Amino acid sequence: MASAPSKLYSDDVSLVVVLLDTNPFFWSSSSLSFSQFLTHVLAFFNAILTLNQLNQVVVIATGYNSCDYVYDSSSTGNQSVGNGRMPSLCATLLQNLEEFMNKDEQLGKQEPEGRIACSLLSGSLSMALCYIQRVFRSGLLHPQPRILCLQGSPDGPEQYVAIMNAIFSAQRSMVPIDSCYLGAQNSAFLQQASYITGGVHHKPQQLDGLFQYLLTIFGTDLHSRNFLQLPKPVGVDFRASCFCHKNTIDMGYICSVCLSIYCKHLKKCSTCGSVFGQAQTQSDEPSATNRKRKTTDA
Amino acid sequence: MPLVKIIAKNFMDMVASLTARDLDRLYENPFICEAILRSLPPLAKKYVMQMFYIDGAIPAKMMEEWVLPDGFTKHRVAIDRLVQLRLFSEEKKKETTYRLNSTFQSNLRKHLIYGGALPREPMPSGITARLPTLEDLEAYAIGQWECFLLQLISSTQAERPTNFSSSMMKVFQRGLLSRRDKEAPRLTESGFQFLLMDTNAQLWYIVREYISNSQERGINQADLISFLLELSFHVAGEGRKENWFIPTKLATNLSMSLTDSSARKEGFIVVETNFRMYAYSTSKLHCEILRLFSKVEYQLPNLIVGAITKESLYNAFENGITAEQIISFLQQNAHPRVADRMPSVPENVCDQIRLWESDLNRVEMTPAHYYDEFPSRDVFEAACDYARDQSGLLWEDPKKMRLVVKAEIHMHMREFLRGQNK
Repeated sequence: MASAPSKLYSDDVSLVVVLLDTNPFFWSSSSLSFSQFLTHVLAFFNAILTLNQLNQVVVIATGYNSCDYVYDSSSTGNQSVGNGRMPSLCATLLQNLEEFMNKDEQLGKQEPEGRIACSLLSGSLSMALCYIQRVFRSGLLHPQPRILCLQGSPDGPEQYVAIMNAIFSAQRSMVPIDSCYLGAQNSAFLQQASYITGGVHHKPQQLDGLFQYLLTIFGTDLHSRNFLQLPKPVGVDFRASCFCHKNTIDMGYICSVCLSIYCKHLKKCSTCGSVFGQAQTQSDEPSATNRKRKTTDA
Repeated sequence: MPLVKIIAKNFMDMVASLTARDLDRLYENPFICEAILRSLPPLAKKYVMQMFYIDGAIPAKMMEEWVLPDGFTKHRVAIDRLVQLRLFSEEKKKETTYRLNSTFQSNLRKHLIYGGALPREPMPSGITARLPTLEDLEAYAIGQWECFLLQLISSTQAERPTNFSSSMMKVFQRGLLSRRDKEAPRLTESGFQFLLMDTNAQLWYIVREYISNSQERGINQADLISFLLELSFHVAGEGRKENWFIPTKLATNLSMSLTDSSARKEGFIVVETNFRMYAYSTSKLHCEILRLFSKVEYQLPNLIVGAITKESLYNAFENGITAEQIISFLQQNAHPRVADRMPSVPENVCDQIRLWESDLNRVEMTPAHYYDEFPSRDVFEAACDYARDQSGLLWEDPKKMRLVVKAEIHMHMREFLRGQNK
């Protein structure tokens, strides 16, 4: 999928919007500690900013209850806050991150029983897309934007609709969504996101070397992606979740007007309000005819 | 490739042509490392990045596996560049392997972890208050630059006395002006092209000339290059304590333009489909540049009205300016009102400029000789074949046995024909 043409800029200027998963329920049970994760990620940001004077990094934290902008490399209020040892990128980012996590905790909801809670990926995806739209409208000279999702929490099926909407609008604006999944299982949403928008999805095998994975795969700018071998999608899980119960389903009913998916037969579509006709009872007729045809052919 | 890239690439070629010892010394400065990293082609940057934390050597075959078949030429270009700049050291034992330059690597690792730092200490705040504002600085920079360019066009038109040293002026004007004995200095063909380039390209050209001439004056090239590259990391408008210089936007844009191709200034020219041109500018320099290829009709306090005519274009072509340069100048300096339109300069104007340029190429002249009255057809045929072998045959007429050959092989033809007659 061709990336958005950018005018008047050299080929490898990029704007990377990073969605950082800060879900405390995931990080407390992960093999890689959050602080180690941050060291890899901060070095990666420095690398991107070094490559080109015009590169930009924006970080949005995906929390359990809320999402917020945590760092923007192009804002001028980035002077280092007193601490002579740490450079301003790290200091500002860490400080903002800490404030965010305190606020997020205070909005607290109960952790659901059994499985690890999911983070608000749909919220941060939408915020990222809004930021990118603003960049597009700022004039002709803008870097090529892409979204990088660093996610460890599992998918929340209740966010299916919102995430798919965000993915399709990213596809429309030609913004690739890269995703790096750090958790144990696979994330269907992230695989679909990268597949549909033309980004790269990867699940690193060794989390100790996360920095090298980030640099090699996700550090490639959009221009060079035409020339380099990057991980290809293998067996994307395209299953949808139903709109009524948010369960993942393989087969279901679809409204012919608005294409909403339901697991049970309903009289009326809850999204568009169109009334469905009589349900066709499951008769053996069609299958019997098929069987008959098959035997005559044989 | 945009012109800025070509000229800037030449600057990097100059860096690459320094001796091995000088280059290694250059890499001890972390800012140079960063500047050089930024100036590499995108694939080369990727390779360097991937090798940051790899201490050993990587076989070339493995690197080739990283690339898709489409990108193979870019891959070769990137590797050649890296080897030329001594960033990759090549070892050929059983197979070719590449290793990243260790000083470069350690400097950049530090940079990644600790982030970039300012090159020098900032000035104390008491003095900062007395520094000129950013707008003053920009106005000053633009004023000086225009003065210099005006000097190039006509030495009489510059109003303000310039304080460029005369040896500097000579250096810069060496390639761009031709001095004939009795006439005033005239712009050469490359001079015209220089004027139509955009600011960053012009700056790079001058920097390059300055550096190549520094050898004569005894300054070490490597020191100069490192100073200039470091200069680009300063923030415009912030002074530095020790040496009292305040970099302007021109300087800080330099390093950006190593790979960038645009000067992000506002355009001012509107070209209409009836070949009229309206330039919203007050600068004398712009007026002179427009006079190069168009007929300036009126000059109002904030507007220059002109027309692109056949005569004015023929004039420009005779001075060595090409149609492509004129068109790209118009496009790059298009007024913001028309810049959004696609195309910013109307197609009929562009096409007509190119057609008029090809007018001058309609007739091609080759010095030649004409042969007539051959004694017999065999001799004629033999002469034709001979001329064809010598690739000098321009025209033949078998019916009336006439032949035109290039002037270069005339003597050989004469020998041949004499031989035939015997």
